[in-house]
Amino acid sequence: MGSLIELEGIRYDYFGRIPALRGVSLSIEEGERFAVIGANGTGKSTLLHILDGLLFPSGGCFNFRGREVTEASLRDAGFLRFFRERVGYVFQDSDAQLFCPTVLDELLYGPLQLALSEDEATDRTNQVMQMMGIDGLEDRPTYMLSAGEKKRVAIGSVLTMNPEVLLLDEPTNGLDPKTEAFLVELILSLNEAGKTIVIASHDLSLVDDLGMRVALLSEGHQVEKVGAAAEILGDTNLLLRTNLIHEHRHYHGRESHRHSHFHFFSHRHGTDD
Amino acid sequence: MNHLPAFLLERRSPHPPTRTHGAVSVPFLEQGIHRLSNIVQSGYAHWELSRRDGLFQQIDARVKVLFLALFLVIVSLKRAIAPEAGIAVFVLLLFALSRLEIFVVYKRILVFGFVFGVLVPFPSMLNLVSDGALLFPVIRLARSYDLWTYHVPAVIGVTREGVEGITLLFLRVTNSVALSLLVLHTTPLTDIVKALRIFRIPDAFIIIIALSYKYMFVFIRTVEEMHLAKKGRLLGAVRGREARSWVAERITLLYRKTHAQCGEILKAMMSRGFTGEVRLRGLGKMAAWDWWMAAAQLGIAVLFLRW
Repeated sequence: MGSLIELEGIRYDYFGRIPALRGVSLSIEEGERFAVIGANGTGKSTLLHILDGLLFPSGGCFNFRGREVTEASLRDAGFLRFFRERVGYVFQDSDAQLFCPTVLDELLYGPLQLALSEDEATDRTNQVMQMMGIDGLEDRPTYMLSAGEKKRVAIGSVLTMNPEVLLLDEPTNGLDPKTEAFLVELILSLNEAGKTIVIASHDLSLVDDLGMRVALLSEGHQVEKVGAAAEILGDTNLLLRTNLIHEHRHYHGRESHRHSHFHFFSHRHGTDD
Repeated sequence: MNHLPAFLLERRSPHPPTRTHGAVSVPFLEQGIHRLSNIVQSGYAHWELSRRDGLFQQIDARVKVLFLALFLVIVSLKRAIAPEAGIAVFVLLLFALSRLEIFVVYKRILVFGFVFGVLVPFPSMLNLVSDGALLFPVIRLARSYDLWTYHVPAVIGVTREGVEGITLLFLRVTNSVALSLLVLHTTPLTDIVKALRIFRIPDAFIIIIALSYKYMFVFIRTVEEMHLAKKGRLLGAVRGREARSWVAERITLLYRKTHAQCGEILKAMMSRGFTGEVRLRGLGKMAAWDWWMAAAQLGIAVLFLRW
């Protein structure tokens, strides 16, 4: 059997004019931790939208578990259910994702779509609320939550469907360090439980923390390189070329100086305190 | 390690279904959202066209807005077919010189002209509505009838005056639409809005128009994102009632978000010195080329007026 997810020569243009992806070919194995990294506007979110069957490529082929995902194949009720049950997408903008009146409605939405009994759905919801640390918020309208709470609810609302692939778009964007650490631990636990994790991010420290296999997208909307996190993040020239790192002023102890450096590895110099 | 609930450890079958289970129809809601996306697409196309290297793109927005106002008045004043046809040829020439996609734009213009210039006033071509020299008969009755104030002639048909009237109306409609599209396709909307100052429209109104236009794009993007987020968790077709309920909830949420954003924008404006009076950057001084173009358009306008 082939890979869980296979992309072959994927092309996508917004409005038929603005290129977003140019001949992207990737394969993601079951149970893998996979990251798509790149500077802003390289097509990371577009790629995730395609992986969730929300956008359809203008060229190339996307297979999930050996079956091609197209607008036509997702009109087949059986395959639509098969695909949506197994692939969950956490959007970058939690506000867009949370579309039910309250937190409880939001978490129940997925299980009820799966036609679970109300008792089973409630049971799942309670367990997820506890796991995500959002118990007590069930009756609160989603627009009255903090950014961290919204992210937890957004992830919880996908997890209640128990997907086998979790697509996360910039999951740590705008989160405080505590929520970020919680998220890293959760992702690792889910992966250890057999879930395939696919992340789109320019947060290099997250990719490093999660020890992912990485596909680096260039500003030409192509895959520049695929490899282990350590291999990609250790290649300074590659990161400079793809505009993921740049030379800028920063402090070491009491000394300010200027050179290309990473924000995710703490690096020390002889002069550091 | 986080303690995961037992249901998250359950595995599903890895085999996709081999036979089809009936088709899921594209819901009305989704079609509507695709149409909204097309607005963004046409907005982008408009922005791209306004940056092409053509004649009208190089003229100051104020000159173009004046041109539009002046020629719309001339189009509505002319009562003969020949000058209207002359204006139509002149506008077509301007489209070509501005390197616009003539066939694409004129297809829309002609459809608009046909509906409002031919189809709607079609009965006025018949001698049932107004008298005139009969060109070709359509219905022959045994005799004429007089019903209250209406006279139904024995031979009902198309009149010469009716055809001339419809032709004139068709040309007026197409000319007005073509003139508007010429300016719209060659000028960024923000510049058109700023150029309205020449009609002494207050800056406060101008900023409201500009913000409304911008918000339309923000709104469409938000609606699209919300729709995709929902689509990502849908496992089958949605019932009409459910879809309507979702739309109603989204409208409420969007209203709340808009209200909150309105407050945020006001705070951002206040933190940058807004005290109630709007001061906007103008379009700058007009170049000699713009003055020449303004003079040329005035000259051509006089020619058409005297025709």
